[in-house]
Amino acid sequence: MSHTVLVCDDAIFMRTMISDILTQAGFEVVGEAESGVQAVDKYRQLKPDLVTMDIVMPDMGGIEAVREICKTDPDAKILMCSAMGQQALVVEAIQAGAKDFVVKPFQPSRVLEAVQRVLG
Amino acid sequence: MDVSRYAALFLAESREHLSACNQLLLEWEREPSATRQVGGLFRAIHTIKGMGATMGYAGVADLAHRLENLLDALRQRTVPPAPAVFQLLFRSVDALTTSVEGAVVGAEPPADERLAADLDAAAAGIASAAPRSPDASPAVPGDTRLAEDGQVRPVQVALRRGAVMRGARAALVVARAESLGVVSALRPPVTQFDSQDFDGRFSFRLASAASDEQILVALRSAGDVESVRYEEDPADAQSPGQSRQIRVDLGRLDALMKQVGELVVAKNRLGVLASGSSDPALSEVSDRIARLVSEMQAEVIAARMTPVGEVLERFPRLVRDLSLELGKRIRFDVEGDEIELDRSILDEIGQPLLHLIRNAADHGIERPEQRAAAGKSEEGRILLSASRERNYVALRLSDDGRGIDREAVLAKARREGLIDGSADALSDDLLLRVLARPGFSTAEAVSGVSGRGVGVDVVVTRVRALGGTIEVRSDLGRGTTFTIRVPLTLAIVRALLASAGGERYAVPLAYVAETVEFDPRSVTAVRDREALLVRERVIPTVHLRELVRNQPRPAPPRAPTVILEIGDRRVALVVDALMGQQDIVVEPFDAPRGMPPFVGGATILADGSPALILDAAALV
Repeated sequence: MSHTVLVCDDAIFMRTMISDILTQAGFEVVGEAESGVQAVDKYRQLKPDLVTMDIVMPDMGGIEAVREICKTDPDAKILMCSAMGQQALVVEAIQAGAKDFVVKPFQPSRVLEAVQRVLG
Repeated sequence: MDVSRYAALFLAESREHLSACNQLLLEWEREPSATRQVGGLFRAIHTIKGMGATMGYAGVADLAHRLENLLDALRQRTVPPAPAVFQLLFRSVDALTTSVEGAVVGAEPPADERLAADLDAAAAGIASAAPRSPDASPAVPGDTRLAEDGQVRPVQVALRRGAVMRGARAALVVARAESLGVVSALRPPVTQFDSQDFDGRFSFRLASAASDEQILVALRSAGDVESVRYEEDPADAQSPGQSRQIRVDLGRLDALMKQVGELVVAKNRLGVLASGSSDPALSEVSDRIARLVSEMQAEVIAARMTPVGEVLERFPRLVRDLSLELGKRIRFDVEGDEIELDRSILDEIGQPLLHLIRNAADHGIERPEQRAAAGKSEEGRILLSASRERNYVALRLSDDGRGIDREAVLAKARREGLIDGSADALSDDLLLRVLARPGFSTAEAVSGVSGRGVGVDVVVTRVRALGGTIEVRSDLGRGTTFTIRVPLTLAIVRALLASAGGERYAVPLAYVAETVEFDPRSVTAVRDREALLVRERVIPTVHLRELVRNQPRPAPPRAPTVILEIGDRRVALVVDALMGQQDIVVEPFDAPRGMPPFVGGATILADGSPALILDAAALV
């Protein structure tokens, strides 16, 4: 059975792109969230194997969402999606419990490597 | 073995550990489900226990041992991190601090029996309610705890060249290591991972029961790991971002600074001699010495630099206690604690900051119900941030509390005749001047005024004495921000340049209240002394030309005048001309015989010519 994924990003463009990359690699995108609050809700509902999380989102940012999710599930496999220059935030996200990160602009191979590491 | 000579070292290290404990407790309390902090706490207390026992401080060792037992139970999750437990932990860290400080001066306080009993009950009582699995732990925890975590390994990691976002990757490796055991002695620290200089190499110690192979697999799974080696980092001394450190008594650095200062004076004299000589070899040597001395001066100044975090780190704990005491909810954050400042300035700045923080918590932040009624979040926020601004460090303390009611302050200031009646609005500058009046609004709390006057005069005086400046911005209902700017080092200050009798003088800007024009028509007298009437205030005058040359005063035409101010005292310094502002390097001054007392030092101006620095304190 393929792994399930929850994609969290406030930009439709990014969600679509990440979904495409993962779907083509055989993952099943079971949900999308466009805010931190939604991400936390949907994580609880869907219990996905993997979450991709944008850092800057309205209504609770990605880091706060990681913290919330890890509170109930410390083993949650969350992959941060960050942009250049957000290193300090990524470090914070990792300390909050994120398991890996990828840097925009995304190269499909990089994203999949990170996903393998997280699920590995 | 005589261990008494290690007392200072014991004290310094214990203080560091205790301060770290407070920090960790605060973080943990905010997020009790986190597991990272308990390891750090345990290690710190364990270290103090070992050091205390070695020094023969029985009370320290005993208290640390009991505390360690409780931390152990917390780490094993046999005791849940409940609010009462945090209270107990904070209480114990305080008691341990008292014990450590007392022991070093030969006055160990008597054992706090109740605290000891509470600790034992917390560790044992609840542990029996939730029995451990048989293989979990030995009968005497604590003593063997670190060993029980398995081996402590030194670990060196290098990331791949070209790894994207090295700092974040390194943090990920550390997180992986933490999932296996307790990480300590991380170098460089996480706060420096974000630095441009971080080259992707870092080291730490890992106490873990996992095998070498398991650790290797876990660390590599973080990605972009080039190599993992289990050995001490031999390149500590050379590699950037990872510096080896020794403790140096501040007195030594002061002495070194003074020596360098004298060297500078000697160098300057040599320079003068060389320029008057026709021997090219002498000029060459003189130039070389000049270069070496200024490099040395820079090194000594750098050695005195200390991260402001060393002073700021005690504040979060303080705000926590204050907020409990006041029945308020306050979140306190510190930013920029890695910014560096001259140690002697840093030591001086703590007290004024403390004053402002107390004011913010006490008068600025409203009670939760008041905040809710005003449409704010119930938790108030105080932010202390440090940032570097050229040759200054700015320390900003902002709160999102009720702000200062200017109308009320203005009314009160008017009533007390602090400002003239024509002013109908308070600018931020004027507001600070009013608040900084000694005793303003201390006794009778004006309703609606936040009472910010309390002690602000003390703060302003201290900051100015350091050559610093202070500003306030306040929005009613939205909060108040105080900005303190202090020079990076006492050796560099901003000054106003003035001339008199053909010489140039530098007046440290910290003491300049304003500049006005000397107008013979506003001259009056106070106790037989000439004085100037500035906005209905009588200020005694000093004519710089008269002072320095003993020249009789020419018929006073209109002349620029600098109003100097220290605390509440003022003097009007009449000069020939003002020549703008400049950052000046204060050269330590070997005063020649007969140098008048109002000269506080000398400096070389940007154009290379020398100028004397006026000591405002001697004039006012």
